[in-house]
Amino acid sequence: MSNHPSIDALRQLFEEQLQAASTEQALKGIHDAFLGRKSGTLTQALKGLASLAPEARRETGQQLNALKSDIELALDERLSALAASRPPAGAVDVTLSSRGFPIGRIHPLMRVRQQVEDIFTRMGYEILEGPEVEDDYHNFEALNMPPDHPARDMQDTLYLREPIVGGTWGAHRRSTGARGAPGGAEGRGWLPAAQVRAATLLRTHTSAMQIRYMKTFPPPIRIIVPGRVYRRDNLDLSHTPMFQQFEGLVVGPDVTLADLKGTFEAMLRELFGDVSVRLRPSFFPYTEPSAEVDISCQSCGGAGCGTCKHTGWLEILGSGMVHPAVFEAVGYDPGQVTGFAFGLGMERVAMLKYGVDDIRLFYENDLRFLEQFPL
Amino acid sequence: MRVLLSWLRELVDVPGSAEDIARTMSLRGFAVEGIEPVPADVSGAGGPADAVLDFEVTGNRPDCMSIVGMAREIAVAYGVPLKPAGQPPAAPKRKAGLADSRTQGGRPAGKKGGAAGIDIVIESPDLCPRYVGAVAEVEMGASPAWMQRRLEASGIRPISNIVDITNYVLLETGQPMHAFDLARLAGGQIRVRAARPGETLRTLDGQTRTLPPEALVIADAERAVAVAGVMGGGDSEVTAATRTIVFESAYFNPLSVRRTSKRLGLKTEASMRFERGADPSLPPAAMARALVLIETTGAGRPRGRVIDRYPARIRPATLRLRRASLAGLLGCPIPDRDVRRILERLGFTLGKAADGWRVVVPTRRGDVTREVDLIEEVARHYGFDRLPVTFPALAAAPPPVDPRITRARQLRRVLTAAGFFEAVTFGFTSEAAAAPFAPAADLVPIANPLSESFAVLRPSVLPGLIDAVAHNRRREQRDVRLFEIGARFTRSGGERRAVACAWTGTAAPEHWSGSARAVDFFDIKAVVERVCGAVGVAVQTATSADSSLAAGSRADLIADGTRVGVVGRLAQAVADAHGLPDDDPVYVGEIDLDALEQLAAGRTIRVAPLPRYPSVTRDLSVLVADTLTAADILRTVRDSAPATLVRVNEFDRYQGKGIPDGSVSLSLRLTFRSSDRTLTDAEVQAATDRVVAALKERHGAVQR
Ligand SMILES: [Zn+2]
Repeated sequence: MSNHPSIDALRQLFEEQLQAASTEQALKGIHDAFLGRKSGTLTQALKGLASLAPEARRETGQQLNALKSDIELALDERLSALAASRPPAGAVDVTLSSRGFPIGRIHPLMRVRQQVEDIFTRMGYEILEGPEVEDDYHNFEALNMPPDHPARDMQDTLYLREPIVGGTWGAHRRSTGARGAPGGAEGRGWLPAAQVRAATLLRTHTSAMQIRYMKTFPPPIRIIVPGRVYRRDNLDLSHTPMFQQFEGLVVGPDVTLADLKGTFEAMLRELFGDVSVRLRPSFFPYTEPSAEVDISCQSCGGAGCGTCKHTGWLEILGSGMVHPAVFEAVGYDPGQVTGFAFGLGMERVAMLKYGVDDIRLFYENDLRFLEQFPL
Repeated sequence: MRVLLSWLRELVDVPGSAEDIARTMSLRGFAVEGIEPVPADVSGAGGPADAVLDFEVTGNRPDCMSIVGMAREIAVAYGVPLKPAGQPPAAPKRKAGLADSRTQGGRPAGKKGGAAGIDIVIESPDLCPRYVGAVAEVEMGASPAWMQRRLEASGIRPISNIVDITNYVLLETGQPMHAFDLARLAGGQIRVRAARPGETLRTLDGQTRTLPPEALVIADAERAVAVAGVMGGGDSEVTAATRTIVFESAYFNPLSVRRTSKRLGLKTEASMRFERGADPSLPPAAMARALVLIETTGAGRPRGRVIDRYPARIRPATLRLRRASLAGLLGCPIPDRDVRRILERLGFTLGKAADGWRVVVPTRRGDVTREVDLIEEVARHYGFDRLPVTFPALAAAPPPVDPRITRARQLRRVLTAAGFFEAVTFGFTSEAAAAPFAPAADLVPIANPLSESFAVLRPSVLPGLIDAVAHNRRREQRDVRLFEIGARFTRSGGERRAVACAWTGTAAPEHWSGSARAVDFFDIKAVVERVCGAVGVAVQTATSADSSLAAGSRADLIADGTRVGVVGRLAQAVADAHGLPDDDPVYVGEIDLDALEQLAAGRTIRVAPLPRYPSVTRDLSVLVADTLTAADILRTVRDSAPATLVRVNEFDRYQGKGIPDGSVSLSLRLTFRSSDRTLTDAEVQAATDRVVAALKERHGAVQR
């Protein structure tokens, strides 16, 4: 046996080679190396049996034949396993990049708007839009800001050179005629009120719709009016000449300042998560008492930081109890009803909610900004 | 209102720090914009550091535009007493300048000019209900250091002892004052009258101003010497040479001062207080204070008596405050003792009434005119935080949501699903940017625009959207799809709502599986069709002449015979004007949502039964003139085919080799189906033959 490798060594050699072989070709190479008709190591060994003594020939022959059948079996197994793992015809490389399915995004301001709309819808509010061009009466005068009122300075107004016909509002109420006009006319009776006949200015707040709505419908009222408003402001980090507002109005026989508090706590907690809400006295001509509403600063947890100017609080909206002069202007009896009104800036909410520090980003419409808001 | 803490503490023993005061007062309606540390008082070397609190005083509270006013609020907030009007560091030597308001201006003693040497006449008592004047002999110089320091801390530049006293009294009491040089008043007279037509005055700031006709002026015997409540005149101002002065302490009509100040474009410490409403009871007290200061600071001594003209007496208002209203508005009853404590400490006088109180309003509180104003005062100092938290009761089912809002949401879903990003752009634009989208005469100009780029209301949503496309193109974004829903404005149409979209770059982006495909007309057409389809309106396209779009690639969108929008490739000139590159076309579409909504009104969903019999298709290729539109050919097909034709679509269009010049080969697939039987081959063939014949007859089409 000295001129042949030992059988155990052969077996070991085979197993090592089998282990390393991963392709059909490699397996075929192993087959040839051991069982090749002419030069296969095992074939050679079997041929060499003839030279052995009969006793040794029988024993070695048995071992060599056992090894041969083991090799054949192992190679067959590996070959069929390899065949089974080969991808079927037309198989694809699933790791190649996909073809892509273009999908757009809702603007972050509209995202905020839809969220606020949803919150108030669940609270039983009616949501409606109003015209963007308005007249002086609805934007100022009926809101307790007669001409020459100092508060008009707070809202630097953009005026039209000549009046135009403004937009319509409340088309849905015309078709259903749910409540009819305060004058007693039902259904379609209030149609003329639903259009701005001679708009002279760009509304400075959505509050103008308070007047249109109250002049058209009797109490109780619970509405939300989202929309664009305009001020004669230059563009900077925190100002744009156009921005988005939410007007809210609730009127009924006994609406209270405590109701206002409850409403804002519910709304702001849903919008911002677990925040504290506080009211601060303020001044608006169309509300009395008036209040600014703050939420606790989330960046510092109320301890004070740059975002909240070290007060721990962030101003989020202006509000108050509807001024009796406003009720008088629309023909409501301030002795019979009370109400609260509020105005919420969508940019402000979006800036706080998404950590945006430059309001102009909302109006540049840069895709790299917009795509950060998931659908 | 800048309030020096040490000055404030003279009037009220407030225990808290500057920060504590800021926190407390912001919850009483006086937000603090900033706390500025300043060195301690000049006299109190080594004393505690001082600070200036910058209070934000809302427009309804002119009474708090003073140290006394803020001190009063702070005293109520902290429950500490308000001390009488401040004793300045150097105590007064003696009382001077007795006011004699009882006699309404005092007896003219002796000759014209009276004992004081000045004669005061109010010619317009409606615009000047009260005017208090007094004369003093003075020695002009600088005011004491403590006074200068207080003025500077409050943001006012010291000028001279007399001018500083007027400013000091203004800051302390809130009463604007003015000093005239008596020698420079012609005739020793002060006449409060309306400005004469064309009358001019050189004001203290050195400008000569033509006075508006309704302006109230202070005049001497000859000419105007001051714009009442706004600014004094240069010719009568006190100078280093002045020996005798006349102090003015008056109450002017707020509206009159406001109008004049606005007309002149002149805002001063005085006008800001007068236009918001000063206190008509304050002028004599302020005058007394000024005269005391003249003596205690050694600036001079008063001469004669104080003249107090008060022809149009303003009486304090009396209001009713009912417990029920208070509880009804705030949501909980407020204890009587709190109501009384708060209002009395604010200076209101309370009398009992069966259902509450009768409240006399101090004249400085011109903002308090109704019961609800009193309720606010109570709530403010009671504390909003102590009110309960409740929820308004729902008394009726809420009305339906405005369909515009539902619609906008639907369009957002449709368009984002089509790969479009929502943009929000401004409602105004420049005249140049608006020009391609509406005739100049139809634009709506803004009377007082901020700049040329915001000069007109947008007649179309597109200019802003195209700007946004250009913005992105400049930032390495080649594939841009944007849309916006919003109002647009024209003089003829007024305010109307529209949806617009813009698309540039690829329709099929670059991918290993094949080459990219650039967006073309038929991609954007699909988008506008989808928008209209979402609203429930079918639109047709017709060749357009819209000059904002490129000739040969533009269409009007027609629904029920009405033009509801446009779609096409943006005209190159418009693209250039927005700074867009030449090589990549921008495709746009805009639809009038109001018009679409009107067409869709009342449409409901009715389900049709599913087909029970199979359909049969026939393909047909015809050669037609290439000037003929697909719409014309399809119309002929539909007109000539029987009702069993349920669908016809173009599946191939070919021009080039084998097709004569000026012709096009169009392949159509006709689908036939009947609702009550299986169609026979013969029926379908007959129908197809009729279509072919009609195409030949109407369009000279040749079947291939
Ligand atoms: Zn913070």
